[in-house]
Amino acid sequence: MNDFIQHKLCDGINFNVIKESRFKTGRISATMFLPLNEETVSANAILPFLLSKSCQEFPDFTSLNKHLNDLYGASIYAEVSKLGETQVLGLSASFLDDRYSLNKESISAKVTELLCKMIFEPLFDNGKFIQENVEQEKRQLIELIESEYNDKRIFAKNRCEQLMCQDEKFGINRFGTKSQVEALTPDDIYKAWDQILKRAKIELTLLGNSNENLALDVFKRAFGKIKRENVFSCNTEIIKEAKHIKENREEMDLAQSKLVMGFRTGAALQDHLVMPMRVAVALFGSTPHSKLFLNVREKFSLCYYCAARYDRNKGIMLVQSGVEKENIQKAKLEILNQLGDVQKGKFTDNDVDAIKKSLSNNYRTVGDYLSSLENFYISQTFDSERVTPLEFVKRINAVTKDQIVKAANLITLDTVYILVGEKG
Amino acid sequence: MTLKEIKSERIGDKYYTGNHDSGLRIFIYPKDGHHSTYAILGTKFGSINTSFFSTNNGEVVKLPDGIAHYLEHKLFESEDGDAFSKYAKTGASANAYTSFDMTCYLFSCTENFEESLKILLEFVQSPYFTPETVKKEQGIISQEIKMYDDDPSWRVMFNLYRAMFHKHPVKVEIAGTVQSISEINPENLYECYSNFYNLNNMALCVAGKVDPQEVLKIVDKIIKPINGTVPESYFPDDPYDIVRPRVEEKFPVSMPIFQLGFKEDASKGRPDIEESTQTDVILQVLASKASPLYRELLDQDLINESFGYEYFEGKGYAAVIFSGESKDPDKTASIIKEAIKKIHKDGISKEDFENAKKALYGRTLSILNSAENISNAILTLEFSNRELFAAIESVASVNLEDVNERLKSQLDIENCALSIISPESK
Repeated sequence: MNDFIQHKLCDGINFNVIKESRFKTGRISATMFLPLNEETVSANAILPFLLSKSCQEFPDFTSLNKHLNDLYGASIYAEVSKLGETQVLGLSASFLDDRYSLNKESISAKVTELLCKMIFEPLFDNGKFIQENVEQEKRQLIELIESEYNDKRIFAKNRCEQLMCQDEKFGINRFGTKSQVEALTPDDIYKAWDQILKRAKIELTLLGNSNENLALDVFKRAFGKIKRENVFSCNTEIIKEAKHIKENREEMDLAQSKLVMGFRTGAALQDHLVMPMRVAVALFGSTPHSKLFLNVREKFSLCYYCAARYDRNKGIMLVQSGVEKENIQKAKLEILNQLGDVQKGKFTDNDVDAIKKSLSNNYRTVGDYLSSLENFYISQTFDSERVTPLEFVKRINAVTKDQIVKAANLITLDTVYILVGEKG
Repeated sequence: MTLKEIKSERIGDKYYTGNHDSGLRIFIYPKDGHHSTYAILGTKFGSINTSFFSTNNGEVVKLPDGIAHYLEHKLFESEDGDAFSKYAKTGASANAYTSFDMTCYLFSCTENFEESLKILLEFVQSPYFTPETVKKEQGIISQEIKMYDDDPSWRVMFNLYRAMFHKHPVKVEIAGTVQSISEINPENLYECYSNFYNLNNMALCVAGKVDPQEVLKIVDKIIKPINGTVPESYFPDDPYDIVRPRVEEKFPVSMPIFQLGFKEDASKGRPDIEESTQTDVILQVLASKASPLYRELLDQDLINESFGYEYFEGKGYAAVIFSGESKDPDKTASIIKEAIKKIHKDGISKEDFENAKKALYGRTLSILNSAENISNAILTLEFSNRELFAAIESVASVNLEDVNERLKSQLDIENCALSIISPESK
């Protein structure tokens, strides 16, 4: 299934092909990896947005979008995320496969060239990004940063992460702050662009039925003109154990209180306990058969959502829930109580079997979505080996009860964040 | 039962459909090379079906708001245990949702498909409600309602519906209110179930890795026909006019968010597939990123990537809605209205039409990538007497004259409402 073929273009740059003929669309993406730093975070973050709006061939936003419409509604996506303490910039396109165009047009080649031009031939005036365009993107990025306040579940989760990791790079917002964005100049952004092309680790990925040689040539030619320097190294600080519990409360005019608990798990990156930790966290709180769902939600009717999520790139686990103000304490204690049960091995072989089946199902389904496949492989960029979804399934199923208990006992509570709803 | 093949000559895809003796309609869309199977069983009963004509005496019966959604939660429990614990043995990932006009139960799996399909068909046919189990759900659903209460994008939407619709139940929140769900009990849940979970009112769709004959075998074995007829839902006539042109609410948000709705006459029935496509073309020309309107709003710093539009329509209601974040929703609304005035006056040009049509065609085809999207689309279309491949064909064959004709009856700038959620003063 879904063969993943990698060509090395030059130092730190790979061209990956996932050949699949059963989709109506294809994808091409450039994913750039950079160290997460206060100084550069916003200049980096604004780049994919700025680059996706124009290029020298299509200097005008409206004519660019007409061109994309003409390519059967091809879409360009700009994204910024974090992989541990690495800032990840994504510029990608999805497009209708050539076979399905109404007049036998070649879509994929044109989209690939366009994406390449966006990266390498941005719209400059006298060798600089244009002030007016920069200001437009700054405004939109600031609004994007501020909109994280609107969705209270996301807001509470971000606050918890931020408080928990305030002394680590991980506490930096993926876009930076409003004032950092406000201060950006076209020169700052040019510097970031230049550094990325010279020093970022870059994964180029083509998925679907398109001609990979054509795309490979396009990018080979483009990167051939760049003098690559030392590739940035990206590392993440892993704190294995919480020293003491931080608790933080804030109030807001809301109907429901949000409770987020941040834990250190002790298992991260390629640690041998990462697989057992995945099973332990799922058993604790990420499926309808988990302890949090069966008890905190179903048995005690305390909430609608109460779930645990594990981030192996930072080695942390977050539990998120929405509860009635007077039930905050009760929910918190019950969540810890359920974690205690996993740590004491209070679960059956059937429970483990159910969780393994559920996780296996998720990994076997990865291949049915181009974007899932891409994410699956991109998330392994810094690993020493590349594992297929089926190999993942094998490893999940090899996890023993002892390993689960051992992994669960590494979990320590670090930070409790409560957004108290003052309406209810 | 026999299955009929439905094929799209243009794309080369095909699926199978048939009517089971029980009344259940079945759709099976095999996808070669797929690892997973997606199955969805739906009934044409959603949050707007709260009033219906009794099949006994013809009188209108009113149910508590939010009962369809409550029933969805409770159906997961049968006398012999809950569905999630049964799925736990097969590894399927299961879920359910309630929309305005349907309730759907679904799962996705990569092995044990037969067993998972049995579980789905059995639990949806085995209602089991006791005062205790119904009561227990109140805490959970109250928290779900409050979660939505805290979601500004949800609030701005329902505030708009209430500003546009006088009586139509689409203005009522899907899960109801904490107050309305307290009136739900085993009796009214059973009443809902026996009236609307009639197989004649339901459809099953399976897509992905699937053998059609296998599905039929299981359906034959598990499906028990139910007697009785499906009552007709009652919808009060909603006048053409909106309720109020502007509604604003304060909430903890960083900048104002808005929805602007242009209400339409929905008294003559729902649009057909061609009309829906024509509207999609109109909106693409009017407000997509390639439009002069989008450009003007950007240049004036009035919108960002969150800007969007949709054609919101169902039985007895229809509106075109624009939405997004904006520092000045009133100004944004007036610029949108100016653009509508202009497009009404000038009509759509051949060039813009061809450009929009290609974009729509490509994006519509992308639905066929995923078994999940295919199944949901087939079910939604089936419940409004439409068909998936005809929908795709309608994009390929839409013509400019019809689009310009349709434009005349849409986007009445004298009949629109603006809903705003604005930041609390600090």
